[in-house]
Amino acid sequence: MKKIYGIISFLFLGINAIAQDSTIALKEVTVMARAKKKIETEMKMAVTVDEFLASSDQISFIKRGAYAWEPMLNNMSTERSVITIDGMHIFGACTDKMDPVTSYVESNNLSTIDIKSGQEGSLHGATVAGSIDLRRKNTPFSTESKWGGAYQTGLEFNNKQFFNLGNVSYSSERFVADGSVSFRQAGNYTDGNRAEVKHSQYNKFNSSLGLAYKIRPLSSVRLDAILDIAKDVGYPALPMDLWLSRALITSASYKQLSENGLIRVWDTKLYFNAVEHYMDDTQRPENLVHMDMPGWSTTYGLVSRANMIAGSINSEIQLNTYSNLSIAEMRMYPQDRSQRTMFAYSWPWVTTRFASIAMTNSWDISGKSRLNFGGSLGYNYNFSQYTEFNWIFHPGAPREKSRILPALHAGYQFNTNNFDLSAGAGYGHRAPSVSEAYGYYIYNSFDRYDYIGNPDLKNEISWEVNASAGFKTDKAGIEARVNNFYIRNYIIGRILSLGSPMNYQSVGVKGYTSLSHARIFNVAVNARYDLLPHLHWKGGLTYARATDNKGGNLPFIRPVSYQSSIHFMYKKMSFQTSVNGDFIQRNYSPEYGEDQTADYWVWNASADYTFRLKNISTVLQVGAENLLDAWYSTYADWGNIPRMGRNIFTSLKFSL
Amino acid sequence: MKNIFLLTALYFAVTACTLDKTDYLAEISTIVTEHNEFKEVAVINGDEYKVTLLALNGTLYKGYNEIRVQITNSRTDGSENISGATLLPVMSTADGSRASCPHRYDLIYIPDENYFSGYTVFTHESSISENWELNISYTIAGRSHTVKQSVSVQPQPNKNLNMTAFTGNDDERYIIALVSPQKPKVAENELVAGLYRFTGNSTDSLQNAYSEVNGYTLQLDPRMPEPSMGNHSSPNNRDLTQGENGLYHGVVNYTMTGNWTLNFILLNQNGKIVKGTRVPLDFTPGVEGKKSELYIDILF
Repeated sequence: MKKIYGIISFLFLGINAIAQDSTIALKEVTVMARAKKKIETEMKMAVTVDEFLASSDQISFIKRGAYAWEPMLNNMSTERSVITIDGMHIFGACTDKMDPVTSYVESNNLSTIDIKSGQEGSLHGATVAGSIDLRRKNTPFSTESKWGGAYQTGLEFNNKQFFNLGNVSYSSERFVADGSVSFRQAGNYTDGNRAEVKHSQYNKFNSSLGLAYKIRPLSSVRLDAILDIAKDVGYPALPMDLWLSRALITSASYKQLSENGLIRVWDTKLYFNAVEHYMDDTQRPENLVHMDMPGWSTTYGLVSRANMIAGSINSEIQLNTYSNLSIAEMRMYPQDRSQRTMFAYSWPWVTTRFASIAMTNSWDISGKSRLNFGGSLGYNYNFSQYTEFNWIFHPGAPREKSRILPALHAGYQFNTNNFDLSAGAGYGHRAPSVSEAYGYYIYNSFDRYDYIGNPDLKNEISWEVNASAGFKTDKAGIEARVNNFYIRNYIIGRILSLGSPMNYQSVGVKGYTSLSHARIFNVAVNARYDLLPHLHWKGGLTYARATDNKGGNLPFIRPVSYQSSIHFMYKKMSFQTSVNGDFIQRNYSPEYGEDQTADYWVWNASADYTFRLKNISTVLQVGAENLLDAWYSTYADWGNIPRMGRNIFTSLKFSL
Repeated sequence: MKNIFLLTALYFAVTACTLDKTDYLAEISTIVTEHNEFKEVAVINGDEYKVTLLALNGTLYKGYNEIRVQITNSRTDGSENISGATLLPVMSTADGSRASCPHRYDLIYIPDENYFSGYTVFTHESSISENWELNISYTIAGRSHTVKQSVSVQPQPNKNLNMTAFTGNDDERYIIALVSPQKPKVAENELVAGLYRFTGNSTDSLQNAYSEVNGYTLQLDPRMPEPSMGNHSSPNNRDLTQGENGLYHGVVNYTMTGNWTLNFILLNQNGKIVKGTRVPLDFTPGVEGKKSELYIDILF
């Protein structure tokens, strides 16, 4: 389903751009505008990127605090998914995953987030879980000069979050500019018992700039940059906070369109991004030892894609190459400060070079049925500069490692007016992440083990089947989606009998090893029903089950979860209320450091009012999350930190 | 043009890192200076022959020193027909007593580079009351020559070349002297040590005052003693056993830079403990690590 959406949107993106240039019918353009999802949820119009992603039933989150949640796609952590910004690869600089890629963008510089499940996501790189592509705002050229923009401000009372988000755009026949600036500032939040969760504050600044220039009627160049700075961010679930993280994400692209012929769109982008991340443990007096843990991640790469149309087959070919250097240091200070500090690399200057050629095709067999198929072939190369660190646990491990990463997928879709059916399968490899292969005493505060990478890990190999079925009428619809992954050489940390912990909070050392296999099964059911023309109901239910080679539970698998919402519109006002929750976590994994998490549910409500101030469209929204002030913690809350209690939020948005 | 320049400058200003990365190799070198070059300690001009004494960095330190002796004809610069070179270090104290230290008495000729190879393990630094003298003898055409040179033994600044002297449970006196690595890395390091027994009780000759100990085993348990490190240790270490060159070879892994204690248990040929105690294995954050009865501290 996502697949079709993806292809259609790519197609329309192309046509959209062509339409601007050669004034073909405007019909497609409006279709595109509708197909674009806005970065807001049903409940809330001023959301963070994390909150927006959370509204997808394929995404769950590991939360270490109020900021920078780690997105889990199909109940798999970020090593197994490809997270890109406009197809650009970028890697966090924190060994503790305090800075997932999604923390370096802001909702006001994104237009949509494209999630593809499983091997359909292999277009952007080798993956098991799928891909999350964060698409930036990209205003098209227009025949007349036009200014656009929006400004949004608001308050969230629980953690005194104050935010200001602004973006402007200018478009003309030959020149387009997009810019955005945002500030968010939040204090500590309080849980459902009105207890303050210390170290949960954050401060984030994000700005972006995009400039496009049409050099010929059908070709354009574009420069883009994002600068994101987060300062003084607390991580209540970790023994340290963030002093500063900074990402600079830049790209230059060239786009060539063609009205006929085989290749309709050809888009090539050179990119460079640099991420730096500095932790700070000086705000935690309970810490026995002061540590500095700076990290750097620098990536440059090239992504080139071409859209082709031949008869009833639409194809996209994408070439991806990048080179990343990940460095993380740890320096411990002895209690007697006159003594020598202790130093080691947790990422010993690890270079990753990757190249892949990927293709995905969509063949319209008839008006009702379609075959999607594709594959990719990737090459992954790792080089560890200070490989002697890795030799301590893996004597003689190679300094360099090359891997071939193939992927294949196919799916069949059958659509009639009321029914949708699809079935598909996929096969793909992924290489171990830098931490999994070369990590060195990376402290995991969830199970309190120090993790050691293994350069000799085998490729993780995924076999996947998926299916969906849906029934819809004008008033109602129901859809079920299911997927099952059988993953060979599943990489996970296991207790090592040798070695002793380095971080004083930890209880032992775990090494990344491969289980012979693991299984992950996900099912999601979504339904909607229009009770009245202006009263809509929506609901969803997800279930997942994941087991290791011995039938034991894997960690961080979402228990049965549900959500139900009602949306009512009256004149210029709209009201929405929702309930969501998880059942008790039955299949938890003590072996991997989990304890059972109780069930919970929370109730949210909001109202908004739309009006015009002259020609400015204005929306005022007031709402509350967790209205009943429930105290709860989810299965994926690191260290069982409680979630936010009642949170009243207001926001005001002006848009041109 | 100016704009482009400004933009470029701005770009580099923004891309520059906020904090500098650690220069790891320089980091290790701040504490440890590695000496790889043999330099002259002394030149002794004998009757016809010149004797050149070489050591790493041209300095003799307390602990293990590899010694090279070059003997050349003062006139021809040649060194033919020289044989049977010997070395005897002698320490004389203020009260008139004389002692030696572990050393190689019969030097080994290395023809390729034309020198005689040996070592001494100085047990004391030179001081007002303790003076070291090297006696070098050699034979040319059946005629024996001896030269003497008083030398200065300096404190060893590199803790990785530390030594320890102790009395074992068998009432014998032993010396363990670290030979290498001079400059450890956060890595697997080959650990080499010399093990010597004092035999001076049973012999009057200074040249036999110490002997190399054969066939023993040095069990190794490296730990970081710093309280915040909680008795941290490393995996994949190997006990030291005697190699062909008489020295004891093992493997030590250092997981990070800083202070480490090499805890030893010395076993004799029969596996009986000569010296040393087991150290606790548990992780005890906040508590200074306990050391074996037999240990050497290192730092890098």
